Amino acid sequence: MARSLEQIAQHALDTALAKGAAEVAVRVGRTRFTSLSFRDRKLDKSEASTSSSLTLTLFLDGRYSSNSTCDLRPDAVADFCDRLVAMTRKLAPDPHRRLPEPEYYQGRSERDLGIYDDQHAALGIDRRKELARSAEEEARGASDRVISATATFYDDVSDSVRLHSNGFRGNYNYTSFWAQVESSVRGDGDKKPEDWSVVGARKLANLGDPAPCGRDATLRALQQIGAGKIDSARLPLVIENRAAGRLLGHLLQPLNASAIQQKRSCYADLLGKSVASAKLTLIDDPWLVGGFGSRLYDNEGITSRPMPIIEQGVLKNFYVDVYYGRKLGLRATTGIKSNLVFSGGQGGLEDLTRGVERGVLVTGFIGGNSSPATGDFSLGVRGFLIEKGQRGQPIAEMNITDNLLTFWNKLVSVGADPYLYSSSRTPSLRFDDVQFSGM
Amino acid sequence: MTMDRRQFMLATATGVAGLAAPTLLTRCAAGRVREEATVPQLIDLAPASYFESQFGVTPELMREVIATALASGGDHCELYFQHSREASIGLEDGAVNRGSATVDLGVGVRVIRGDQTGYAYTEELERESMLTAARAAAAIADGPAGSAPKSFAVQTLENFYPTASWWSGISVDRRMPLLDRLNTLTFGLDPRVKKVRASFYDEDRYILIADSSGRLVADRLPMFALRLSCTLEDKGQIEENYDAVSLRGGVDELKDERIERLARTAVDRAARNFGARKPPAGELPVVLAHGSSGILLHEAIGHGMEADFNRKGISIYAEKMNQPIAGKFVSIIDDATVPHYRGSINVDDEGSPGQRTVLVENGVLRSYLHDRISAAHYRVPPTGNGRRESFRFAPIPRMRNTYMANGPHQREEIIRSVKRGVICETFTNGEVNIGAGDFTFYVKNGYLIEDGKETAPIKDFNIIGNGPDVLSKVTMVGDDLKIDDSTWTCGKDGQGVPVGQGLPTCLVSSITVGGVDA
Repeated sequence: MARSLEQIAQHALDTALAKGAAEVAVRVGRTRFTSLSFRDRKLDKSEASTSSSLTLTLFLDGRYSSNSTCDLRPDAVADFCDRLVAMTRKLAPDPHRRLPEPEYYQGRSERDLGIYDDQHAALGIDRRKELARSAEEEARGASDRVISATATFYDDVSDSVRLHSNGFRGNYNYTSFWAQVESSVRGDGDKKPEDWSVVGARKLANLGDPAPCGRDATLRALQQIGAGKIDSARLPLVIENRAAGRLLGHLLQPLNASAIQQKRSCYADLLGKSVASAKLTLIDDPWLVGGFGSRLYDNEGITSRPMPIIEQGVLKNFYVDVYYGRKLGLRATTGIKSNLVFSGGQGGLEDLTRGVERGVLVTGFIGGNSSPATGDFSLGVRGFLIEKGQRGQPIAEMNITDNLLTFWNKLVSVGADPYLYSSSRTPSLRFDDVQFSGM
Repeated sequence: MTMDRRQFMLATATGVAGLAAPTLLTRCAAGRVREEATVPQLIDLAPASYFESQFGVTPELMREVIATALASGGDHCELYFQHSREASIGLEDGAVNRGSATVDLGVGVRVIRGDQTGYAYTEELERESMLTAARAAAAIADGPAGSAPKSFAVQTLENFYPTASWWSGISVDRRMPLLDRLNTLTFGLDPRVKKVRASFYDEDRYILIADSSGRLVADRLPMFALRLSCTLEDKGQIEENYDAVSLRGGVDELKDERIERLARTAVDRAARNFGARKPPAGELPVVLAHGSSGILLHEAIGHGMEADFNRKGISIYAEKMNQPIAGKFVSIIDDATVPHYRGSINVDDEGSPGQRTVLVENGVLRSYLHDRISAAHYRVPPTGNGRRESFRFAPIPRMRNTYMANGPHQREEIIRSVKRGVICETFTNGEVNIGAGDFTFYVKNGYLIEDGKETAPIKDFNIIGNGPDVLSKVTMVGDDLKIDDSTWTCGKDGQGVPVGQGLPTCLVSSITVGGVDA
């Protein structure tokens, strides 16, 4: 009765071609998601659903549209294709809009990425509840200051098929399992500091016991009691691994070909040049086993391969998709990051902090933004004062302000402690002479 | 996945997020387009029979699904049906050469027991799929079966966004000239303009809510967004900036004057930043220009007043009800009824009518923002703040249009009172930590204030403060309230919903400005 994803994809592709599309890319995905939350020692929320989607990229008469629907009934898909063809015909032509040349599909690795747990179906509701319940219990048990703790266990299993009318075919299946705890504690006055902790894995067997997350979330919240700002100053900055991913996002934005082609990148003319301290080596690695960004091909069907982005401070590659690559006259790499991996690091957070006479350890960012065109950025931070290499009073309500082009040159140490629960496997980082705004 | 789900972000697109932009006719007023349109005429609100006529969802079927969802007990069950069509077109490098269409269709089934929630959804409006979802939602309860309503009573609503001409009835070729015109206008304003990106987006959303009390509510919600961003180059230096307008309305709500102002504003904001500097670092008096500075309220108090955090005791405002938290001239309102504004709703996503809620009255905290669960917890009527991104999510307390009422001061007098400080005019995003109360917002354009006068332009800095502390430091409030009409989207628990915000010119006597050496 139920049609396979291949059948749905093939039908959509055939229909779009029959309706007049010259070229078509189709992706059909189906994800089953389950989530259970415990709060106050009882089940707070339970969610379970299956979601499907069809994306249809059409090229006709040199014109282009990118579309999606979750109404997969054959008649509805046919009607949708009619609408899309009519709409696309009316747009202005664009000579750069075509499917990728098939050579981009060549050489796809057949390695096992370790991102699909075939034991997924064996995980029952009771086990999920127990994992959430035990993590919440740990969070509550860690302190009598806890006001509320919520532990959520959630997992998904997802299958997708991609077909292109010029020959690309691919399947991408993954699973993931997460346990997340949020804990709020009584602080000074009306303040109720809160923090979180999470573990995740592609395979349940690799998740480990989520219960310690509960304790970690509560201890992190407790450590924030009494947080306040210090005087504005230029100080060394140490960033904890799990917080650094957000900083990295601001670096990546202007490395995209669309930013470069649209004159909104401060790195546009810097390929092959030094843009950061020699301590920085950053690799986009789609083959990382068990990685949350791991893949064999990207969202255009381009074969994924490891790619250096910055090597010892030198900018080696941009993120170039097929369209902006054609506009810029560059060969496409990929328009979408996979896993980001740092190399050459040493030690952990304590090692990076140890040598700091007076500085700030940032454990979280709040708000802030950057201008990819100029590199200017300004971000809210919280964390701890570092004095004589030791973690001191908690800090909140402060900003750091700098420019990407100067800031990354101030990187003096990189840890060997990648954060495992994100596709950006950021280690702890230390920068010198960063402007903090406080009192 | 690893983000703190309790941090909330508010953001407006600073650029064209990929696609979509429609164009009005080059010389046309919006009204001209309407004349030519072949638009489905909507009589009153969406008929409650839409999902029956389109998808065969009968009252009998809805009763069966509700009965199945309550098979293990529970206090309440509601079904939320949604069918939406979104379309967008985008202009880049002088041509409207990208389009996008999206269809979203499904039903969410929620069972509430006390403050516990069981939730499931399906994208297939077939009996078996809906019953499967109902059984999944029922898993939250484990008692004797509840019962489905014997019949449904259709609830009538006030309409805060009457729409004569729906954008969904305007074909792509008649939207494209709007973007072409914006492109021409923008390039014509300044020879330093090197790149222009524009997009137009619209959504036409039908919803139907049926619940176990027998309430049946239907709505049809319009929305459009016109976004413009431009890059200017001057002697090798680059600046980019944006403007956007988004309203819950049809063709008539996009005024010609606003399209022209969009181009002028984006270019002016970018041009002003050539030569702009960083503000000094540290605590300064901050004047918030009227309009989108309402981001202050959204982050400093709005999220903290969402009653889910208060019933759990984790908001910094949890013990503040009926206490003074700001000067007597400070009143703050969250309002679903502002005609055509982006955060307005005729009905919230669990069936409570759209309304106006006073959060702070003359400096005193008066009401949280409630959904059904928190209203039951506090034994008060719901305030109509139970909102959701789509049928894929359970509703939670969310803001609508949040603004401060006018105060006794004049803009000039406020600026004149500042010896050394900054004025903030353009914003891109903000964020708050609920329990500690710390919040931030990012300023794209501003000016220094020196000896009571606006002087040098400043740019790209973050401001960070603590909600209750900053509210107590609002020392002057102007008489020039403006509710911003830009594309604000609020994020919470992974759900984005459209919101509005506004402020009269205000003075915060001291707050930390992210700058460089003071």
